[in-house]
Amino acid sequence: MITPGSKYFFGLTGLSLISAILYMVLVNPSDLGAVALFGLAASGALIGAMALFTRDGDVYTDEEAVAANAPAGSPSFWPIVFALGAALVLTGLATVPVVFVLGIAVLIAGGVEWTIQNWADGASSDREFNEFARTRAISAIEYPGLAAVGLGVIAFFFSRVVLAVTKEAGPIVFIVVAMAILVVGVLIATKPFMKGTVTVVVSVLAVVALAAAGTYAALSGERHELTVAAEEDHYDASHRECGAEASDHYDHLANNTVSLRSAVTATIFVKDGKVYAEAIGMTKKVDTVTIPRSSATSVMFRNLDEEQHRLVVNLGSAKVATTGVIEKVGTCTQLTGKNQEQVMTLKIPKPATATEPYSFTVPGATGEIKLVVP
Amino acid sequence: MSHSVSPHSSEKAMDIVNNVKSTHHRIRNSIATIIGIVVLAGCARNAPQDTWQPRGHNASVINHLQWIIFPMAGVVGVLVFAFAAYTFWKFKDRGQPIPSQSHGKPVVEIILTIIPALILTVVGVFTFRGIFELANTEDTQMVINVTGQQWWWEYDYPAQADQGITQPIITSGQLVIPVGTKILLRETSRDVIHSYWIPALNGKKDAVPGRINLLRLQADKPGIFAGQCTEFCGLSHANMRMEAIALSKEDFAKWVANQQKAYTSPADGSLAKEGEGVFLNQCIRCHQVNGLKKADGTPALAAPDENVYAGAVPNLSHLMSRNTFAGAKFDLLRKSCRSDVWDASSETIGVKYLAGVSESCLNATALRAWLRNAPAMKPMYSDPKKLGPSGGKYRGMPNLGLTETDIDKLVAYLLTLK
Repeated sequence: MITPGSKYFFGLTGLSLISAILYMVLVNPSDLGAVALFGLAASGALIGAMALFTRDGDVYTDEEAVAANAPAGSPSFWPIVFALGAALVLTGLATVPVVFVLGIAVLIAGGVEWTIQNWADGASSDREFNEFARTRAISAIEYPGLAAVGLGVIAFFFSRVVLAVTKEAGPIVFIVVAMAILVVGVLIATKPFMKGTVTVVVSVLAVVALAAAGTYAALSGERHELTVAAEEDHYDASHRECGAEASDHYDHLANNTVSLRSAVTATIFVKDGKVYAEAIGMTKKVDTVTIPRSSATSVMFRNLDEEQHRLVVNLGSAKVATTGVIEKVGTCTQLTGKNQEQVMTLKIPKPATATEPYSFTVPGATGEIKLVVP
Repeated sequence: MSHSVSPHSSEKAMDIVNNVKSTHHRIRNSIATIIGIVVLAGCARNAPQDTWQPRGHNASVINHLQWIIFPMAGVVGVLVFAFAAYTFWKFKDRGQPIPSQSHGKPVVEIILTIIPALILTVVGVFTFRGIFELANTEDTQMVINVTGQQWWWEYDYPAQADQGITQPIITSGQLVIPVGTKILLRETSRDVIHSYWIPALNGKKDAVPGRINLLRLQADKPGIFAGQCTEFCGLSHANMRMEAIALSKEDFAKWVANQQKAYTSPADGSLAKEGEGVFLNQCIRCHQVNGLKKADGTPALAAPDENVYAGAVPNLSHLMSRNTFAGAKFDLLRKSCRSDVWDASSETIGVKYLAGVSESCLNATALRAWLRNAPAMKPMYSDPKKLGPSGGKYRGMPNLGLTETDIDKLVAYLLTLK
């Protein structure tokens, strides 16, 4: 006898096979999608065979009695949820992607719950046992799923708060919340016989407080500099103004600290208005920095002067494809204050020509460092 | 009650016993053969990547560590296996009653904790001393950039006046270094992670895209030392080889002078001149030859970034000063000429290596086959129909569909790049 559980997986196998064949014919015969669909078919066939072999986990008390005597299951709202998911998917296709994604999530959740409930309702003639079977099967999905959703909600609201408060206040909020969780956790742990409802109340209050704070923060919007950064796109090359003077766009709120010190090939300094460089492995100062062709290579700029400076790399000139105009090629760091530093990562595909050698310069300072791309 | 055994069942039992004995013999002989092969392999003399034959200070540091750790590990291993074997034999099930069980023996547990701790402390002291010694780069005398990509190594020498390098040098496949000089390799990669390893000169170090990892090398005597990429990096990982050529300081200076020599175009009307034309039509799309100019007199600049996934291919300036090509996979020298260089004494190897590749020594068969159909010689992702995953760019040299006449011309031209 083909058991109900195995029917489901055999159906999945058939559907996957058809989908895989259609995918190969209509999309791409050697694409990863076809491999995934064949994998799904193979997995379905394997699980179906296992379900058949174990008679759906042997949950039947009386195989023959199941079909004849199984009572009707309790009314289920999962078909409505499933339909709602389908409606959201269709609406999302016509409107915005987020509705589509939400619809997919609802569709999957409703479909899984409906499938499990339907399977459990026919598991035996004992309604109590069926409910037990449903709970046991669905708990393995519901608990991790709800935990993931819960964590996602917490992360979302908390991130709204951190994005809304100032950069200085962010770490303090983080520390305070972490300390509060630690203290409450310790208090609960020291009272092992405390009523469970107290823990639930504390947790609910915490989530409500977080949700309220997160909602308020979301409605207030992100802090000023993030809003400005998003509007102006500080890191777009077209905003780079590489002169000695400060740029309203590009130099706005430069970070001026770096973390990839171990990966830079050379450090270029400006001190007393003069430029010099040190390269990894070279014991003396260098006047030339060599960077392999087409290899992403980082150079650090460190300002040791009182006034702010920026590092500029000059990479010759080239014709702009869209306008046909010949323009200087190069880029620069943001303005860097005293004892501060920035990193510039370069990937240069071609060596310089004799007429237009590459170089590093610092506007407002004397000297240059030659850049060689062999 | 008496038991009677039929003659038939007795024969059957003997057959089973004989079969078991025969199986035991076969297993014993197989194990003995495997052990014999492993032991004999240790006696191999032609083992250019032997980690037990250091030829420089850094490799010697590792070798000294091996001589401390391997005997200790060997003794511990033998003792553990012997004790385990004795225990299995002594207490195997012979139908005896199960002995009384007890929980915990503090004295034994303390001893068995202290002994490994002492062993690891001794190992740790020597290991950390070795690590710190290998990591020292402060007294570096020469810097070379080493860039890995699928499936070859590029070496570029930044200008270092105190080493006689006044202009940057770029080469591939063979790393040329002066003996007795503390060399610092600055390793990186253009595509995936590779690992640089020349066992006779030092341990291995990963070349990681976007990072610069440092590795020190120093050769005591002139010689050629073989190496191998040791981080799986794709289809032709096994064919990504390298050789370090250690030359005396005088010979190294000659090599530098040759590498910095300006490009000379072949004589007009020669086959090589026609080959230069073929190169400018075909090869320049990816391969650079420094100093080569187009017909209009402007520099001929290759654009490997437009055609190759890694964004670089070997620079062919002074190609014939090297002994290998295609990621050191193939020899540019015929077998007898190659042996002449590899088997040379440390006194004569410099002269032989600096002679480069002459027409009579050129391994024309391999070079012509490579030009005719490179993917047939070395596995690469160079089928134009299958470049989707790399954004339409090649990983390796494609079949250029050159005619035999073009190949003749190209070989003649490449021979001039000394």
